[in-house]
Amino acid sequence: MNTFQLAVDGLALGAAYALVAAGFVLALNASRAVNFAHGDTVMAGGFLAVALAGLMPVPGLVLLPIMLALMALFGVALAAVAYFPLRGKPPVAVFVSTIAVGIILQNAATAWFGAAPRAGPALIGGGVVDLGFAVTGRQALSVIAVAALVYLGLHLLLSRTQLGKRLRAAAQDPGMAEALGIPVAAMTALAFALAAGLAGAAGLLLSNSFFVTPGEGGNFMLKAYIAAAIGGWGRLNGAALGALLIGLFETAVATVTSQVMAEALLYAVLLTILFLRPSGLFGEAAGERA
Amino acid sequence: MRVSRPKSVFSLAAILAAVMIVTSAPAQQPQRLPVLVPVTGFLALEGTSQRNGAVLALKTAPSLATAEVQDTAAAPETAVNAFEKALSSGPVPAVIAPMLGTQMLALLPLAAERKLPLVTISGTAQITEMGNPYVFRFFPGDEIVKTAHARYVVEELKAKRPAVIYQTTAYGQSGQKVLGEAFKKLGATVVFEEGMAVTVKDYRPVLTKALEAKPDAIVLHLHAGPTALLIRQAAAMPGMPRIVAGSAMHQPATAALLEPAELKNVCAETGASPISGGSPAIEAWTKEYRKEFNAEPDAYALAQYDGAMMLLSALRAGARTGDAVAGYLAQQTHRGLAMTYRSDGKGNMAHDALIVCYDGKDRTPRIVKRYALGTS
Amino acid sequence: MLAEGAYGLRLLTAAGIYALLAIGYQAVFGAAGALSLAQGAFFGFGAYVTGILGARHGVDGAITLVLSALGPMALAAIVAAPVLRLESHYFALATLGIAQLALLAGVNAESLTGGANGLSGVPGLTLFGVDVSRGWPLLAAVWGFAAVAGFLSWSWSKGARGRALALLREDPLAASALGIDTGALRLAAFLFAAGAGGLAGALHAHLLGVVSPEVLEFPVMIACLSMVVIGGRGNPIGAVLGALLLVQLPEFLRGIGPWYMVAYGAALLGVILFAPDGIAGAIARRLPKPMPVLPKPASPPAPRRAGASLSLRGVTKRFGGVIALNDLSLEIAPGALVGVIGPNGSGKTTLINAICGLYRPETGDVHLDGKSTQTRMPHDIALLGVARCFQAPRLLDQATALDNVALAARGSGRAEGLALHVLDRMGASEFALRPCAGLPGGVRRRVEIARALAMSPSLLLLDEPAAGLAPEEQADLAARLGALNAEGLTIVVVEHSVPFLKSLARRLVCLVEGRAVADGPPDEVTRNPLVVDAYLGRNWKRT
Repeated sequence: MNTFQLAVDGLALGAAYALVAAGFVLALNASRAVNFAHGDTVMAGGFLAVALAGLMPVPGLVLLPIMLALMALFGVALAAVAYFPLRGKPPVAVFVSTIAVGIILQNAATAWFGAAPRAGPALIGGGVVDLGFAVTGRQALSVIAVAALVYLGLHLLLSRTQLGKRLRAAAQDPGMAEALGIPVAAMTALAFALAAGLAGAAGLLLSNSFFVTPGEGGNFMLKAYIAAAIGGWGRLNGAALGALLIGLFETAVATVTSQVMAEALLYAVLLTILFLRPSGLFGEAAGERA
Repeated sequence: MRVSRPKSVFSLAAILAAVMIVTSAPAQQPQRLPVLVPVTGFLALEGTSQRNGAVLALKTAPSLATAEVQDTAAAPETAVNAFEKALSSGPVPAVIAPMLGTQMLALLPLAAERKLPLVTISGTAQITEMGNPYVFRFFPGDEIVKTAHARYVVEELKAKRPAVIYQTTAYGQSGQKVLGEAFKKLGATVVFEEGMAVTVKDYRPVLTKALEAKPDAIVLHLHAGPTALLIRQAAAMPGMPRIVAGSAMHQPATAALLEPAELKNVCAETGASPISGGSPAIEAWTKEYRKEFNAEPDAYALAQYDGAMMLLSALRAGARTGDAVAGYLAQQTHRGLAMTYRSDGKGNMAHDALIVCYDGKDRTPRIVKRYALGTS
Repeated sequence: MLAEGAYGLRLLTAAGIYALLAIGYQAVFGAAGALSLAQGAFFGFGAYVTGILGARHGVDGAITLVLSALGPMALAAIVAAPVLRLESHYFALATLGIAQLALLAGVNAESLTGGANGLSGVPGLTLFGVDVSRGWPLLAAVWGFAAVAGFLSWSWSKGARGRALALLREDPLAASALGIDTGALRLAAFLFAAGAGGLAGALHAHLLGVVSPEVLEFPVMIACLSMVVIGGRGNPIGAVLGALLLVQLPEFLRGIGPWYMVAYGAALLGVILFAPDGIAGAIARRLPKPMPVLPKPASPPAPRRAGASLSLRGVTKRFGGVIALNDLSLEIAPGALVGVIGPNGSGKTTLINAICGLYRPETGDVHLDGKSTQTRMPHDIALLGVARCFQAPRLLDQATALDNVALAARGSGRAEGLALHVLDRMGASEFALRPCAGLPGGVRRRVEIARALAMSPSLLLLDEPAAGLAPEEQADLAARLGALNAEGLTIVVVEHSVPFLKSLARRLVCLVEGRAVADGPPDEVTRNPLVVDAYLGRNWKRT
């Protein structure tokens, strides 16, 4: 197996993680609180993909829009249950409300689908693609392409549309946005919808090659949290890039040393970065200074 | 002989019990039998099989015992809580105990203190090495299955340069040690060895490195999900030698994740493989299991079924206290569905291991080799 | 809901262990406001110390208990220097990284830790020859430790230190500007948390008899965090309530079958929605509050500090490519009142931050009363007599004006009396018992200046104090500042409003791109062509 294939596989995993991290940051910016249910939302998205594929035997790509819509609804429900009642309360209350939702999701998935790992639908199909200079998996390539398209869509929505601008304004300064007549609550709900949509998309993308199990949410959460922090707390692109870097770092280091060493080095490098650059690799979105 | 005396004592007890049933008209209350298994957390898949096996067995004798299922989740603490909870509502004759090794280690001293036999299918080598007379293991321990695993690789596949990939969990590390010793004894050189966390999704780096060591067999000792992930990713890589996986592979839930073609090169060790058939009794049992749980049975379910059935025999023979049940389990032989169970003096009841292989056409493995490794 | 017998005893004992863990966490997360994610690792570390020494080497329980607390404290002390200076999320991430490394070590350092199987055969606890390994004695020992830790934590975080901690939690920057040694408070809390966590881990090892990597895994941390938040952040009682609830609840729900953990999640959600400030907070809200009473005003202690002299020599400060202060030199005599003007981004606020030590100049030096402050920490400079106000007042919104001001009057025995005195001097004593959240902008500003005065400063730095004030309020403020200056206090006022400064200062300095382009009497400076060009030409009309 050549380096190119390894890189493609690492990139496919990293691309899905990038969507997870971007969703995490979207909800973070809108609510100013860590959503601890985000990792379990990715897992829930994976199981939703499994369930949908059981109902409709179509390629995963066809399921993607349905997934996005359903997960967006879930995001709004999550905000309604675990965020809106706690608005204006200490942000740590949202930690616990989302931890609770995470516990519910994980155990409901175990009770509903069973504890066995499940495989979701392939995006287009299995098999390999011959690129001329290298042969690589069709699923891995389509995961990278779909993740890139979803991310591009998100980027256009946020930067080019009126809705996106309002959403960012509401997240940046809710008080000012409210004064300008922007419906801040609706924008926050939208941010949660987008966050869950991205998590669901990632769940679908991961579910075929990497399966889905009820207990794996915690690992996604950990990756998203680290990515968000090294990318500069609150920076969307930084978090996505951070997630890609983590994926490539783990694959590359695991190839030359060992998986345990790769994980240990990831944290060691992280601590070194924080030691040298105390506000993340790319600086913070909103500097907190006098 | 020591064996004959308790036997006569028990048959006497059985006669007495029968007399009592005849004389005192209402049948005796069924005994509560705690089934402490991980049905949530990372071992929930195997734990659910364990529960199903126990529940199916106890259903055969509702007048004798009723199952009382308690979740032990993933931590020793939860297992101890479940144990104390089960015991808080009155005495029980024995406990069906979790297959998670760390939980067993926490329960062993409590069992000794309360004089309560633990009937388990935990493979962790250590649990029967501590001189605790109250542990009874109905799944072949690492000493059995990992020895069979290594012997099949070396003796049947003629591999001399295996690469070992194991899990950094209690299950994985315990088995890896036995595997390493077994390969050494058999004169094979482990050319590559690495432990993987259960959270790993990308096995291509480790497979790439394993292949660079030019192994003639890939030996896995991983949990179900990771086994399937690795085999799927290995199937897409050229030049892969035969894969001989751990018992997680034989689980139908693992095979269900893979295309039959991906399984072409794959064998696995296990204590049993009920879906592979083997005897009319096993086939009937498999049918019954599918009907009851709408799921495919695995070796864990069958082993726990056999263990619970032997426990029922003890109750049927009149054992009512923990010590009586422990005495029965320690002395008697039980002809179960998967194999014949008999303690080796340390509480290891199961001494047979199977090697199963897939032919690449379907997901049902064929039994290719049986190892009887009892310490007779 | 409490179970009986051995089962009930075990759950109560476990709850006591988690209460001890959470009491430790209250100090660092509840009191000092630092989201540490290493508390679970300290717990696990303590458990392994007891496991390795107790099970493998037969070391006595009393000794392993002490070492189990000291081990995590030593780890905390080692990582404290690089980690504690990080801001919230990065502190959380760094502590998470340390915890993950500890877990990796627990799982993979097999010869030391027993690997994923862990260590078994940890002996029951014996203290000074008394067997407390089980039942009621163990329960009493565990809760005894929790009670001692709770008492230590409570007595450490009440009174003046409690107010300092409240400000540290909400606004560390403002806290250090008031002379609060935020680093020392955080370190103390972090060490205490590590010690309590390690002790809890040791007791856990004794209770279970085994140690396995589960004690280092993230769920322990999540449970600890949830206990503190659900119980009520900030006080040890909250930690105890949270621990009791989170240990008992899943056990209580066991009976309902396969969905019991879903029910547990739902119950957790219900509790936090019902009591977002935690159970202790919800109870406190229902208790009658004592009516606040005004203290007797007290005069500041005599003798007053004399006004300080300030001198900047060739100070340069860059932010990336932008030069905020460019080789700036400035001499301010004791008792002077100097106004600093300049267009936006000319370095005015940077000047204040450089004087109070928040920013370290790349070159140059700041001298206070002839002594360099270059190597001093912000809180240290504040204690030398430098008080400041911020562009937007940084007050504790939920506390009263009086409490906000009293916070700065630490050290004097009559903090509240002094606070009332300075509030009166700023004309804000009628708002003394009102929470700051509801106060109008002008009053907030006066409360903040009063807070600065409560430090008995020798140099007062004000950042746009007149912004947003009506003309009559501006005049009132100018009069009060003038009176303070007349008593000898050195004052530097950064302002946009030139009329306000003209009514107040006899000397103006104009900064443009980090340089003093003009320095002298107000009329002279405002006529200076460089000033008119750079600043007044564009902004004169606006103010």
